[in-house]
Amino acid sequence: MNPSKINLVIIGHKDHGKSTLIGRLLYDSNAVPEQKLQEVEAELKKAGDEGFKFAFLLDTLEEERRGGLTIDVMQTPFQTKKYLYTIIDCPGHREFIKKMFTGASQADAAVLVVSAKEGIQDQTKQHAFLAKTLGIKQLVVAVNKMDEANYKEAKFKEVCEELLPILNSLDYKNPPIVPISALNGENVFKNTQKMSWYTGSSLIETLDKTVRPLAPPIDKPLRGCVQDIYEIEGKKIVVCKILTGILEEGKIVNFDPSGEEGLVTQIEMFGKQIEKAGPGDSVGLIVTKLREVKRGEVISYPQNRAKVVRSFVAEIVLFSDIKIRNNDVLTIRCGTAEKKCKIQKILERIDPINLTVGAKFPEAVKSRDVGKLVFSPTEPMCIEEYSEFSELGRFVVEGRKGTVAAGIVLETETAEVD
Amino acid sequence: MNDFNADNAYLEGLEKKSISIIREAKAQFKNPAALWSTGKDSTTTIWLCKKAFFGKIPFPVIHIDTGCKFPEIYEFRDKLAKQWDFNLVVAKNDEAMKSGVSPQKDRFECCTLLKTQALKNLLEKEKFDALILAIRRDEHGIRAKERYYSPRDDDFRWNYKDQPAEMWDLYVKPSEDFSHMRVHPILHWTELNVWQYVKQEKLPVNPLYFAKNGKRYRSLGCQPCTVPIPATAKTVDEIVKELETSKTPERAGRAQDKEQAYMMQKLRSLGYM
Repeated sequence: MNPSKINLVIIGHKDHGKSTLIGRLLYDSNAVPEQKLQEVEAELKKAGDEGFKFAFLLDTLEEERRGGLTIDVMQTPFQTKKYLYTIIDCPGHREFIKKMFTGASQADAAVLVVSAKEGIQDQTKQHAFLAKTLGIKQLVVAVNKMDEANYKEAKFKEVCEELLPILNSLDYKNPPIVPISALNGENVFKNTQKMSWYTGSSLIETLDKTVRPLAPPIDKPLRGCVQDIYEIEGKKIVVCKILTGILEEGKIVNFDPSGEEGLVTQIEMFGKQIEKAGPGDSVGLIVTKLREVKRGEVISYPQNRAKVVRSFVAEIVLFSDIKIRNNDVLTIRCGTAEKKCKIQKILERIDPINLTVGAKFPEAVKSRDVGKLVFSPTEPMCIEEYSEFSELGRFVVEGRKGTVAAGIVLETETAEVD
Repeated sequence: MNDFNADNAYLEGLEKKSISIIREAKAQFKNPAALWSTGKDSTTTIWLCKKAFFGKIPFPVIHIDTGCKFPEIYEFRDKLAKQWDFNLVVAKNDEAMKSGVSPQKDRFECCTLLKTQALKNLLEKEKFDALILAIRRDEHGIRAKERYYSPRDDDFRWNYKDQPAEMWDLYVKPSEDFSHMRVHPILHWTELNVWQYVKQEKLPVNPLYFAKNGKRYRSLGCQPCTVPIPATAKTVDEIVKELETSKTPERAGRAQDKEQAYMMQKLRSLGYM
């Protein structure tokens, strides 16, 4: 049996030991080449440091090592008996929310690291909230730095009692919590005698036992987005990325919002023809009767057709220095489409640290806020609810200098058909 | 043995994602090009480009020639360009080559002038707005910090401290604020995955990768700065077997990674590949 792949993001407040934990995982699983260890040792020696710094295995930038903080996301593979994990290390610093988001947007599951010594801090709550907003459904908690809390059960319980109500309110119902010392490798790979009061599994065993790979959405209705149109040897090939469901040769399909309809006569990959394509496939289609299908359109079957929406409600997270007001017109990207949408109304500003509604119907949302907004497209647009079609229910907002916010669609209202 | 990595479905998953990224780049940018060192990673990437466009790559393939590559590289390059029928463009910094830069004098300067500057000169002339490159996260700690789409400014600088957000697969869009975008379609592959794929697709590879007199090249660069590592693998199958157990880093034979701590970081921040 081949193990499945899981993308695991490590989140939590700065200095609670995320990079150290990952360094320890890699080290204990012999995933680090000897030469890399020697390089880190030499680097530490030169800087006059005593002992080994596990974080240096992840923090490869000079500024990160000198400053003792992670500046950018790092992805690294790591294998257990059960899974091939790709571990995503994120900066914990509050200035780096867009990087935390970049890392977390690739994850199937999250490990929330909380220091037993410092307890719950702002980014502990904020990261858990953002993970939930991004739709990460699986969470495991590591209460780290137990060595600095003298391995006391009371300290561990204190953190759990404070943390559980917060996580429950975010729909992480009673997640597994493991007391660890990443620095000393205790309860990370192997259980330790120092915390004999803890009878549960080590962090690795807990992950292997509780986390499940996400199944490809083959049972959902068909959705895909048009990436491009190629003309090859006089044939028009519609290049589509399939997101959910199964596309089959010989079926009638729709392209929306243009509303075109045609018969799929061939599904082509280089050098071969296939009869079916599923989630993740990028395929070339020969479709009869097409006029002007363009990049950005959504393909679906007539029985369960992609929605052209009049308006939609979304939760967005802002990560650049911008302000969004009522009636602003924003450029958003969803799937391969790029569309203009007007902000019909800002419903709420959510305080991502205290996890409460900061304001009802505020005038504006700004940098690092989370907001719940009603968008109305100013041109025909297909978008779906995130809970139903995740790839078509998420989007980014484009500013003058790149991506400024990311959003998740909570509800859609379908346009009237003329 | 690592069964997992030998799984065909796994390689298929890697390939799908890469092909989708290449197609996105072609759709989003007006004038893309691919970079090809003739090594296994970029040969794999060129093959993925061929697949993405049903056999005919619709943009130029650039080879940066420092004038001190191995003879096998030039031979392999010209043969494959003909066989795979793509538009090969050679970038050279003749001026720097004439002025006599060399790794013996200054390795950092040599890499920057003969590689980065040569590419800069070509981009200035041809106005490419996206470059498809075959770097992978597992190659080097600095490359592990990369994104699939990574913008470069007019001076080619990589602002690694303030990289743009890359949410899901909604990659950064073209903008006049960047001189060009670096597109990394095989960022998520490992060295082992590349060789498994070479085996599966029966891709041609440079003979330097195969062991001769107990040594083989694991990563190909310029002749003066690349050394072979002790190895016995003489075929693609044997290389796959070797890598399943090897503890030696891939770039052990590449001098620019090691001369001083953070040299790779400095080279890359200035636009090195």
